[in-house]
Amino acid sequence: MELNNTSSKWKVIASGIIPFVFIILMMVYIFGPGADLLDFGVALPEITIEKVDFVDSEIQATVRNTGPIPIEVVMADVNDRIQPAAVEPDRFLERFETTLVRIPFEWNEAEPYTIGITIEDGTRFEKKIEAAAPALELTFDLAIFFAIIGTYVGIIPVMIGLLWLPFIKKISKQKYHFFLALTAGLLLFLAIDSIEEAVEISDESLADSFNGTLLVSTAVVLSFLGLYYSGNKLVKLADSSKLTKPVMIALMISIGIGLHNFGEGLAIGAAVGMGSVAFSTFLIVGFALHNTTEGIAIAAPMSRGKLMLGKLAAMGLIAGSPAIFGAWIGGFVYSPFTSVIFLAIGAGAIFQVIVVILKWIQEESDKNLSSLAVISGFAAGMLVMYLTSILI
Amino acid sequence: MILLISLVIGFSVIALFPTFSDAQSEPKTFVTHSGAVVQTSGEIIDPLYAVSTVDFDPMEYLRNFNYGQVSELPDGTVVREFTIIAEDDKIMEVSPGVFYNVWTFNGTVPGPTIRATEGDLLRINFINNGSKEHTMHFHGIHPAEMDGVFEPVGGNGGRFLYEFEAGPVGVHPYHCHVMPLEEHIVHGLYGVFIVDPKEERQPADEMIMVLNGLDTDFDTENNFYAANTIPFYYQHHPIQINTNELIRVYVVNMVEFDPINNFHLHGNLYKYYPTGTDLVPSFYTDMITLSQTERGIMEFEYNYPGKYLFHAHKVEFSEKGWVGIFLVSENSKKNTQELVRGT
Repeated sequence: MELNNTSSKWKVIASGIIPFVFIILMMVYIFGPGADLLDFGVALPEITIEKVDFVDSEIQATVRNTGPIPIEVVMADVNDRIQPAAVEPDRFLERFETTLVRIPFEWNEAEPYTIGITIEDGTRFEKKIEAAAPALELTFDLAIFFAIIGTYVGIIPVMIGLLWLPFIKKISKQKYHFFLALTAGLLLFLAIDSIEEAVEISDESLADSFNGTLLVSTAVVLSFLGLYYSGNKLVKLADSSKLTKPVMIALMISIGIGLHNFGEGLAIGAAVGMGSVAFSTFLIVGFALHNTTEGIAIAAPMSRGKLMLGKLAAMGLIAGSPAIFGAWIGGFVYSPFTSVIFLAIGAGAIFQVIVVILKWIQEESDKNLSSLAVISGFAAGMLVMYLTSILI
Repeated sequence: MILLISLVIGFSVIALFPTFSDAQSEPKTFVTHSGAVVQTSGEIIDPLYAVSTVDFDPMEYLRNFNYGQVSELPDGTVVREFTIIAEDDKIMEVSPGVFYNVWTFNGTVPGPTIRATEGDLLRINFINNGSKEHTMHFHGIHPAEMDGVFEPVGGNGGRFLYEFEAGPVGVHPYHCHVMPLEEHIVHGLYGVFIVDPKEERQPADEMIMVLNGLDTDFDTENNFYAANTIPFYYQHHPIQINTNELIRVYVVNMVEFDPINNFHLHGNLYKYYPTGTDLVPSFYTDMITLSQTERGIMEFEYNYPGKYLFHAHKVEFSEKGWVGIFLVSENSKKNTQELVRGT
C-alpha cells in the first residue's frame, strides 16, 4: 500500500517535470544545432539613451543596448555635430548592458539639446532634451527644498482633507455612503492617473524591449494581488486586535495613497531634475487642491468610530510623507525604470483599496451597491478629481 | 608532472591576470574642442583629433594621379589605357569604428584619378565585378554611346570599353550612372578625371580633393562629410606644404542630399578657375560655393609658415568631418632664391 503511494507520488512529480524537460530540449536544439533553421531576416541593432545629465562642462548620456545583438558605441554628437567623447567602462555592449558616454561640452542652461550616439554599423540614435538643466547634486539645501515641496503637495493637503472628519461624522448614513463612494471615485481616478503616467514614462524613456504597457500591467496586477492578500490577513488580524475594522480600512487607504504620492513625488523630483518644469506657486496650489481630496478618502471610514486624533495624524503622515521621499529619489537618483515600477505599484495598491471600500459599503448598506448615494458619490469623486487635475 | 606544470601555468595566469586588467583601467586623457584635457577610466571615441588610420589612406590619394598605360598611334596620338574594376560588396571602416558598405572603382572611394592631356585617346577597360549593373559616365565631351548611361554593364564580370578623346581641358567627375543614381553615387562610385592643357600649367604642388558625404544610416541625410572620404582625416594628419610654393588643388564636389557645399581657406585667398576650363582665373577669393558635381581648380601660395585650416563654411559639414589643416613649412630653397634676388 505504502509502496503504491510513493510510486504514484513519483508519477505525479514526473508528469509535472516531463513537459519542462521537453521545453529545455527544444531550447537547446533551437540555440544549438537547430539555429540555422531560424537564421533568416536581419537582426537590427538598437540602443536607447535612457538618461542625459548635464554636469560641469560635460554632457553624460547613459546608453543601453536594447536590441537583439551586441553593439559597439563608436561616436557621440551634440545637436548632430560630432564631438570627442569617452565611454566608461568600455564601448562594447552586450544585450541590456549599459555604458556611460561622457561628452565634454560647454552647454547653456535652458537650451534644448539633441544627443546622438552612433554605433559601429553607422546607425545614429538620438535623444532630445527640451531644456538643459544642471544635474541635481545632493546638497542639504536641495534636500530641504524637496522636503518643503513634498510637504506642500503631500502632507498638508492630506491633513486639511482630514479636517472634514467632524463633518462626515455628523451626516446621515445615506450621505456617509455617498462620501465613501466619493472616496472610491477619487481613488479610481488616481489609479488611472498613475497608470497613464507610468505608460507615458515608459514610452518616452524605456526601450521597446521592456514592453512598457505590459510591464505596467504586470506590476499593477502583482501589487494588487499582493496587497489584497496581505490586506485580508490584516483584516483578520484586526478582528482579534484592538484595531477596529474602519481603522484597518483607513490604514490601507493611507498606504495606497502613500504609494501613489510616492509616485507623484518621483514625478515632481524628476521634473525638477530634468529641468522640464519650473515650479510655480500655481502648480503647487494645483497639486495641493488635488491632494486635499485624498484626506477625505482617509477620513470617511474613520468617521464611524471613536475620534482618534493620534491615529488620524499618523495616517495623514503615512499617506502624505512619501511625497517627500519620492521627490528626493526622483530628483537625485532618477531612473525611468523605477519610476514606472513605483507608479504601477501605487496604482495596484489603489485598486486594492477601492475593492476594500466597495466591500465596506456593501456590508454597511445591506448588499446594495446601486443606491443613488453610492452611484452619485462615485461619479462625483471622478468629477472632482478631473476638475482639480485641470489646475495642474 | 603534467599536473605540476598545469598548476604552475594556472597560478601564473591568475597572478598575471590582475596586471592585465590594471593596465586596461589605467586612466587615459583626451583633448576637447576648447583644449581642455579630460581624463577617463574608460575608452576614448574621438574621430576629430585622435590620430587614427582606417583602410583608405586619404594622404596617398591626395597626390596620386594615374596617367594610364601610354602608347602611341601611328599618327602620333597618345593613347592612355586604364583598367577600372567596379565592386559593390566591400565593407570599409570609413571613420574609426564605423563600418559602411562602399561601392568602389578599383577598390577605393573616390576611385582612381584619371589624368590625360587634351586630345589624348582614352581607352578605359571597365570590368564590373559587382553584383549589380554599373557604368562609368564621364563629364566632358564624347560620343553618345560612350556616355555610360544607356549601356548598363552587367555584374559578375561584365565588360565595356570606353573610348574617347580627352577633353575639354579642366577637372571633371566620373561616376556610375545606373538608376537609382543617388544610391550608386552615395555608395562611392565616383572619381576625378583631369584633362591638362597641351601647354602645361605652371609647375605646382598639386592635389585632389573630392568633397563627399556618407549616409551611413540610409536616412537621406549625411552622417559624415569629408575631403577625400575619411572625416577629419586632414585635421589629425595635416597636409604638409611649403611657403612660397604654388599649390594647386583640384576640387570636385560629390556631396549628395545637401544642395550646396563650399570651400573656405584660412589665412589666404586663392585664384579660382571654375571647372578648370579657362586658363584665366575667374575669382580671387577665400570662399567658393559648389553645387552637385560642380568643380574647379584653386591656386595659392602661403607666405607665412604655420597651421592653416581649410573647411566647409557650412559649419554643419565641417563639424561632421569636412575640415583639414595645411601645415606650412618654411621653404628654404625658395628663400635662398629670394635672398639672391634681394642682393
